Amino acid sequence: MSILTAPAQRLEPAVRQSVEEHGIPFARLCLVELRKQIDTRAGLWLLIVIGLVNTGLIVLTLTTAPPAELTWANLTNAASMGQLVLLPLIGVMAATSEWSQRTALTSFALEPRRTRVNLAKLASAGVLGLIVMSLTLVAGALMNVIGIVFRGGDGSWAMDWPVLGGAALALLILVAQGVAFGLALLSTPIAIVAYLALPTVWTILTLFISGLAEPARWLDLNVTLLPIMLGAEVSATGWAQLATSVAVWVGLPLLVGLWRTARRDVA
Amino acid sequence: MINAEHLTKRYGSRLAVDDVSFNCRPGRVTGFLGPNGAGKSTVMRMLCALTAPSTGRSLVLGHPFRELRNPGHQVGVLLDASAQHGGRTGREMLSVSAQLMRLPAGRVRQIVDHVGLTAREADARTRTYSLGMRQRLGLAHALLGDPQVLILDEPANGLDPAGIRWMRGLLRSFADAGGTVLLSSHLLHEVEAMADDLVIIGNGRILAQGSADQLLAVPGTRVQSLDNDGLLAELIAAGHAADATSDGVSTGASVVDVGRIALAGGIVLIDLRPAEAFGLEELFFDMTAQHGRDEVAA
Repeated sequence: MSILTAPAQRLEPAVRQSVEEHGIPFARLCLVELRKQIDTRAGLWLLIVIGLVNTGLIVLTLTTAPPAELTWANLTNAASMGQLVLLPLIGVMAATSEWSQRTALTSFALEPRRTRVNLAKLASAGVLGLIVMSLTLVAGALMNVIGIVFRGGDGSWAMDWPVLGGAALALLILVAQGVAFGLALLSTPIAIVAYLALPTVWTILTLFISGLAEPARWLDLNVTLLPIMLGAEVSATGWAQLATSVAVWVGLPLLVGLWRTARRDVA
Repeated sequence: MINAEHLTKRYGSRLAVDDVSFNCRPGRVTGFLGPNGAGKSTVMRMLCALTAPSTGRSLVLGHPFRELRNPGHQVGVLLDASAQHGGRTGREMLSVSAQLMRLPAGRVRQIVDHVGLTAREADARTRTYSLGMRQRLGLAHALLGDPQVLILDEPANGLDPAGIRWMRGLLRSFADAGGTVLLSSHLLHEVEAMADDLVIIGNGRILAQGSADQLLAVPGTRVQSLDNDGLLAELIAAGHAADATSDGVSTGASVVDVGRIALAGGIVLIDLRPAEAFGLEELFFDMTAQHGRDEVAA
């Protein structure tokens, strides 16, 4: 390492001028947050694991399913499980790593409006979900071609759009839940365990305690998400039940998290 | 420009920071000095809106930090060099912030060179960095947006002597170009060498502040002569404070005055010199002795 005593190199005056005075646009904040979700070792590996799991599922379907079932829609569907389970964890880490890795000290020194940063995390995690979903569509299409060529598959290009839309919506809700749990708990292991365990515990409880069966239809995401993921016709009651469960499992922790991070002392 | 106005921070019943006010001026390096646990970091976090003061407020460049838009261009902040995502490379960490601030493409490489990190070091994950490398990376991050103000918490911690000399030069030239620097330290010699102004804090309260010259200047003379008693009497007669020491006389009079008085009195001087500057060290220990960690532990 050299010893330099030259003055810090200044930015060109033209550059300084072009730097807007009225703050960082939200879109740029989202892009930066998106980058931060995938530029760490943990984030990158989660994406790789999602890719591997999806590949495994799609290859399994490709090799074992009857040729008549080898369609674009089915293959895409088969490949979507990985992100539904794992992508929300990237959302969790986007929210918690600022505090567990203490990068909040630098992040909030560059954008002191913390809620804005958190909303950018939420938006960018959703965008990442949609990008992964699109890649899955492409992978499904590739596999469909392979199915046609090597297994004489049905090869239908008819996409079941309600199912796909339902899966995309479910993914967005689960990713938002991940971010919300991360913001509310601010610890990666605690938030991941809570995100994975609490809804499952709740579902198990409702199965064993008959009195909870009716509330569960309004308050259990695993139950309320099912109709849209199956692409079924969803009734008004169904949407209301979904909205209620999302409010409890996503909205509530998100509000707690935004409130908590906005006032918390960063150390 | 940094203005702290009656900053106070209370954690439960404990006063971590108690009515702290000071100003940092452009063109000057202000040293923020105090023992560990004195409240330096808490004050600096309050300046950056990372911690909310219980009462009081602070301004950076005339605005509360929270109201700065795109503050990376105005204030360079390094509060903890270890607070980096260990899974990110140094270069990536700088690039993310450069993207946020919309800096030109070559800026990251320029600043990496400037703080003396090699390309190879910049491409390593920060988990593998030594404390000295983290400080250089943190300083690079603070300088990235070409700010007018630097707020640095213990920036010299972990640097080797050459690194400290390098940082002194860097901060000096930053201030000479009109920048405002606030740096904290618990190491006296670091600050003594770097700072124009001093703010000394102990147990959450400001103990002294002013220009370093002013705080360090201790007027006075130590003198030995062949007639110490006679000289003492002449000095007192001339209206100067003076005391006999084991081997001579200690007085508040200047060297020149003592020489003149001795000449006029026909007294032979055998040793005449200014009283040794106290040094910041003694000032520091004097002022923080009752406020240091011993008391906290008791």
